[in-house]
Amino acid sequence: MNETMKATENLQEYKGRSLAQETWHRLLKNKGAVVGMIFMVLLLLLAVSGDLIYDWDTQIDYMEMGVARQAPSMEHPFGTDQLGRDVLARVLYGSRYSLIIGVGSVVLGLIVGLITGSLAGFYGGGWDQLVMRANDILYSVPNIMLAVVIVQLLGTSILSLVIALSISSATSFAKITRASVMTIRDQEYVESAYAMGLPTWKIILRHIIPNCLSPIIVQVTLSIGSNIISASSLSFLGVGVPIPTPEWGTMLAEGRQFIRSEPWMCIFPGLAIMLTVLALNLMGDGLRDALDPKLKR
Amino acid sequence: MSEKNLEKTTAAAAEQEKDHILDIKDLVVHFETDEGCVKAINGLNLSVRREKTLGLVGETGAGKTTTALSILNLVPSPPGVIKGGSIVLDGKDVLQMKEKELEHMRGNEVAMIFQDPMTALNPVMTVGEQIAESVMLHENLSQKDAFERAKEMLKMVGIAESRAYDYPHQFSGGMRQRVVIAIALACRPHFLIADEPTTALDVTIQAQVLDLMKELINNNHMSMLLITHDLGVVAEVCDDVAVMYAGRIVEVGTTDEVFNATRHPYTEGLFDSLPNLKEQGEELVPIKGMMPDPMHLPEGCAFAPRCPYATEACNQSVPELRPAGGTHYVACHAYDDPNFRLRRNANG
Repeated sequence: MNETMKATENLQEYKGRSLAQETWHRLLKNKGAVVGMIFMVLLLLLAVSGDLIYDWDTQIDYMEMGVARQAPSMEHPFGTDQLGRDVLARVLYGSRYSLIIGVGSVVLGLIVGLITGSLAGFYGGGWDQLVMRANDILYSVPNIMLAVVIVQLLGTSILSLVIALSISSATSFAKITRASVMTIRDQEYVESAYAMGLPTWKIILRHIIPNCLSPIIVQVTLSIGSNIISASSLSFLGVGVPIPTPEWGTMLAEGRQFIRSEPWMCIFPGLAIMLTVLALNLMGDGLRDALDPKLKR
Repeated sequence: MSEKNLEKTTAAAAEQEKDHILDIKDLVVHFETDEGCVKAINGLNLSVRREKTLGLVGETGAGKTTTALSILNLVPSPPGVIKGGSIVLDGKDVLQMKEKELEHMRGNEVAMIFQDPMTALNPVMTVGEQIAESVMLHENLSQKDAFERAKEMLKMVGIAESRAYDYPHQFSGGMRQRVVIAIALACRPHFLIADEPTTALDVTIQAQVLDLMKELINNNHMSMLLITHDLGVVAEVCDDVAVMYAGRIVEVGTTDEVFNATRHPYTEGLFDSLPNLKEQGEELVPIKGMMPDPMHLPEGCAFAPRCPYATEACNQSVPELRPAGGTHYVACHAYDDPNFRLRRNANG
């Protein structure tokens, strides 16, 4: 009894000091990162529970011309748009689209970039040539142009937007992963892992990738932000999320013609984009500091 | 004695082989780069006796580390190519093993200690996890049991068990080398390769680490190949010594034989370039010149261009190892003349 208790205690102690927990602990010491995280958690909750708060038919996508283009008031804190829809409701409800597109495209890009990049970095030679030349080709086309073409090919929908944006993310993830894998690959602890008899796949998974993770994690948070901006730009250009979806970029595009007389139609979705990206960047910076094992005390 | 002479048959030779944990025969390793072929190891013969420590001594670039990596069949390829020879470890030829057998052998039967403890540990894993990793792999223990073993190993090398949860950067250099030793010994290998294990440590720590290694080797009945360029370390730890030059063994024997009855001019040069405690104030005599470029090795003895005793014969052919009494062998043409003596031995 006593023995097992001691054993579980030991195990807890072991788990209690894992790298993730320690990183978390140090992340909490960074005020900017905490603010960013709180903002993102609220946004996430909002995105998930949007349907509980708002009814699509009567609150998000309805027309009530009588209250169109009203300035912010108690009833409509962010004002109303040209069709009489409540801007606050649409901005809050729209968070889900921005998050789905931002996170979805980064996750997709990360998977592709991590696999191709680590193979290119680890094996070099032909693999490296193939992956990096493909990257160079994609890199030589402006991201927005590439995305416009892909969305046109696949048809305007959220999924095609995610795919379009994931391609440019994949190239940057592949580059970062390759560069870090190449430096880590020649470290003595990798050689020593071979000398211990570890199979190659285990060495890549347990020794090489974890050592490349910090730049990648930072890049993930920053990419989510930049992809949200790209998605909004595409929507603004009319090739992103189709109306009447309350995506922030789409809302900006719709409000553009009223920007002189009724600026709130643009200000609030714009502000939402800005704050989200800012929060993500704060988180990214905090993570970068927290993940550096050399800073540990 | 007469009985022993009678037994000098193939059976006796086989018996002797059984007595060796490691037998390297005619090993040739080249690195084929764009600039040319680097002849790192050129027909190396080396044996390590069971439960004994062999010191492999030589300058930087002599091929010591390549020899060590060859034993684990880990010569980086490309550009490294093992051109020929055999490495028989415990009765099995490492160069013929399949990848699965190699993975089983590495860490389990043979472990290696790397030169620089600052870079030999993974910075994002706790030292406990790193020790447990190879135990989990080779002995099929659960994570928890393996971690318990890791703590035992830490205790064995003189580090508190509670520090198993710490990361490498939280340790000093000497302690990290202890951790590296703990990792190497965690699966209780029979054979340990230590590649300059004390070079990166300061002198006070060197002695501690060497004593620890000596003790662990003796307690666990292990054999060791100790690679070093420090003759002091050899004198302290090794039973046998092999002196390596340009990818070949030039002199081999027991520590006593090589130190007190030095035969090869290169070995003499190594001793002359060390300060002598008995004759303080005496000027050191460095070996003149540099080791030949391994891309363009001379046709004859590789040491001939630097050798004060070199003759015409030395430029003609590569000398073979010849017996020099007991277990002592030397590869030098000068001994074609039966009266030849090194200066070091002239009046002794």
